[in-house]
Amino acid sequence: MTALPTENSATRLRRPRWLGGGSFAIVAFAAAALALLLLLAIFADAVSPYDPLRQNLMESLQGPSAAHWLGTDDLGRDVLSRLIYGCRIAVIAAAEATTIALLIGVPIGLFIGYRGGWWDWVVMRIVEAIVSIPGIMVAIVILALLGTGLHKAMIALGILFSTSFLRLARGVVLAEREEVYVRSARVIGASDRRILLRHILPNIAPPLIVQTTLTVGAVLLAEAGLSFIGLGVQPPDASWGTMLSTAAAFMDLHWFLAIPPGIAIILTVLSVNLIGDVIRDGIGRGIAVAARQDAPAARFKAIGTAVSSSLALPPPRPDEVLRVEGLQVTVASPGGPGVPLITDLSLSIGKGETLGLVGESGSGKTLTGLAILGLTSVALRTTHGSIVLNGRDLRSLSQAQIEEVRGNEVAMVFQDPTTSLNPAFTVGSQIAEVLRTKKGLSKKEAWERTVALIDRVGIPRPAERARAFPHELSGGMAQRIAIARALSCNPSLLIADEPTTALDVTVQQEILDLFRDLQAEFGMAILFVTHDLAVAADICDRISVMYAGEMVEMAEVGQLFARPRHPYTRGLLTAMPHASDRNPPLPTIRGSVPRPGSWPVGCRFSNRCDFAVPACATRIPLTGTDRLVRCIRADELVLEAAQ
Amino acid sequence: MLKLVSRRLLALVPLLFIVSVLTFSFTSLLPSDPVDLIIGDTGTQEQYEVVRERLGLNQPVILRYIQWLGRAVQGDLGTSFFNSVSVADAVMQRLPVTLSLTLVSALIAVAVGTAAGIAAALRPRSWVDRLATVGATIGQAIPNFWFGLLLVAVFAVNMRWFPATGFTPISASPWEWLRSVTLPAIALGLSSSAAIARQVRSAMVGVLQQDYIRAARAQGLSSRRVILKHALTNAMVPVVAVLSFQITVLLGGSLIVEQVFSINGLGTLAITAVRQQDIPMIQGLVLVMVGLVVMVQLATDIVYGFLNPKARPS
Repeated sequence: MTALPTENSATRLRRPRWLGGGSFAIVAFAAAALALLLLLAIFADAVSPYDPLRQNLMESLQGPSAAHWLGTDDLGRDVLSRLIYGCRIAVIAAAEATTIALLIGVPIGLFIGYRGGWWDWVVMRIVEAIVSIPGIMVAIVILALLGTGLHKAMIALGILFSTSFLRLARGVVLAEREEVYVRSARVIGASDRRILLRHILPNIAPPLIVQTTLTVGAVLLAEAGLSFIGLGVQPPDASWGTMLSTAAAFMDLHWFLAIPPGIAIILTVLSVNLIGDVIRDGIGRGIAVAARQDAPAARFKAIGTAVSSSLALPPPRPDEVLRVEGLQVTVASPGGPGVPLITDLSLSIGKGETLGLVGESGSGKTLTGLAILGLTSVALRTTHGSIVLNGRDLRSLSQAQIEEVRGNEVAMVFQDPTTSLNPAFTVGSQIAEVLRTKKGLSKKEAWERTVALIDRVGIPRPAERARAFPHELSGGMAQRIAIARALSCNPSLLIADEPTTALDVTVQQEILDLFRDLQAEFGMAILFVTHDLAVAADICDRISVMYAGEMVEMAEVGQLFARPRHPYTRGLLTAMPHASDRNPPLPTIRGSVPRPGSWPVGCRFSNRCDFAVPACATRIPLTGTDRLVRCIRADELVLEAAQ
Repeated sequence: MLKLVSRRLLALVPLLFIVSVLTFSFTSLLPSDPVDLIIGDTGTQEQYEVVRERLGLNQPVILRYIQWLGRAVQGDLGTSFFNSVSVADAVMQRLPVTLSLTLVSALIAVAVGTAAGIAAALRPRSWVDRLATVGATIGQAIPNFWFGLLLVAVFAVNMRWFPATGFTPISASPWEWLRSVTLPAIALGLSSSAAIARQVRSAMVGVLQQDYIRAARAQGLSSRRVILKHALTNAMVPVVAVLSFQITVLLGGSLIVEQVFSINGLGTLAITAVRQQDIPMIQGLVLVMVGLVVMVQLATDIVYGFLNPKARPS
């Protein structure tokens, strides 16, 4: 049942990202178009129905007909024949200019990259100067020197495009020459040329192939442009650019003349670019195979969703802020009912209370926090359950209403403060923005309140720090800012997602103290997500333990540590570093958290549990009144307490 | 910011110097003797000497370069070999034409590219995304001058909404200026729109996955504000870097698109100068274009500094 749809994911990976589906057909089409172009270029004499230069003024400017499939031009020449001979020019032009660019750019780039020093400096300054002139102007200046004509134009384009090959080759050499294998080759006395040929050329090939395809496309467009303005191929020779130049003069009389050469240029350039994209994607993947990840949906096999009716939570308390009942979140899976990530989750938090949500990575803790805010990513959906905040079910609210609730009634502090603040704005403006949009404060009021908040979270010189950008602050200070922003509208619920995990140990304690102080002052409820039981023990009133998308135990913090009732909780407690002696190796829970979609049908912990019995293969409900546990043997097992 | 500007300006001096040396030495390599071109086949030896003297070609190259540079610094780019027009005057007269075209097409490219890129990035793999990506791929394969021809056929010849040819200065009539510049600017901006759309899409997709976007949403800021302020400001950082290059491309492209619309801009001047081997004109044109490119780079650097605080010198 854990079989992954490998076939499916393999074909997905082979597709270029920008096309999604059906790209094989497009690549095949591009290859076929280029093959046709090449054949027409080679066999132009045999294929074309007429002599491309034969004039017949009696038949000028005709539309498509049986005799002339694409009509005739102003001098009565057959457009199809000229188009076919244009293929030859296009192929020659692309090959000539690209070869010249490669032959000039690569050797010089390799040489200056390897030599460095004076040579490198002078050549690079010249390259910079050339690059700062618009490309077509460079070509025009070179043509002023050489005179006009196809081959001269291609030499000009070759020189122009050689700069990109030069920079590419130089860059690769600079990167490679410091690689260990080149240095060690030098140590054993290999000659310079040998080092270059044997070690650097193989590494330069992939980016060079990509650059070549890019250049071919650019050359085709540039050749057409130069011929169009009369500096490339000269009349009466047929090239697509000169054909368009003719067409331009007759746009009001016979616009069709512009269509065939235009389509030919577009199709050719498009085909070259498409193939270049595929090559680039292929090479990119060769460098970083694991870097791309498809949507998680592709990796999971859908299983039947077992939704057991949610168990009676303790009756609502008068000071209850948040009450979640029977929450289920699923990830969409193609052609299936969706793979559950969180099932049957119920919890409640009272005013001024801190509920800890603990568990290993992948147990669904952070997702729970995001689901409460309605901020899960597009592929995820909350399918069941209610999320009642201050007496209102958030799931029934419209987008505008939930945006109103966020910030005002519930706010969130994230794990990494350096990435949860926007790098483009000052920290003060990010707090003030919330105050202005949510509370309608004026610019001045919002700023004053911002400085007061920054002062309140314990940052010295708040007025000055408010003008700092996130990257100018330490992690601890950035997290204080994030907390100040979250509390700016005085929410009744604060969701803190691992807020101390990314910080230094010494700073961790300060931030925990800050949470405690602020809770005493503002009285908000806190849902504190953490994988660190020591942190949870420090700050929480009650703790919910999550495993594989469901809650397995919930208890008041003292009771949970003194007498865990679920084998998983016990496993977590004994795996805490300071909960065991130093001499024996730290106990661990064998195995790892199963992925969503591959959860055991019954108790999801059963395959890692030392106490599993056959009865564990059925769905286990959460039982208890004061403290809850999801274990069929909870009453018979006596699990050792943590110290 | 002042520091950034002055530092960049200082770095430009060697660049402009090298460009001037390059163009000057390059154009003095011309195979034909400009004096022969001017006096024609029937010229006598005396006429030859007089013209040679007048053009200063009897002096050594180094001396000629120093004299030319000295005058260029004061804004005197010399005189055309052929019609005794001051190069600086000829260039400045056509500069507004090419600049209008380049800037309007840059605006179109940024507007269209950004809108398409955002639309595609908001719903990856949706039909909007497919349409935008396929459109951008095709857009980059279409020659700008061919697109210009089609626009002329449809909107000028057929519908008569816009003039088919010519350019009206903005000082003469802003409305006519807009009408004369619209079609060429759209034709010129097409492939840059496509390039910018691809760039915005990939940058936006990356930014939308960042923690600070989720944090801004968690704070209850509206979707519109999150996307247009928080996400776009960051997504534009790589786009601005591309934009500087794209404007150089547009400036070059305008030389060709001008021909489609018979617009008498720098492109026409350059093509004529090349055909006549008018050395002072070519030198002047290159120098002015490099100056323009350099100013664009400076402007984009400043915008870059605003968008990306980490890039500002402290």
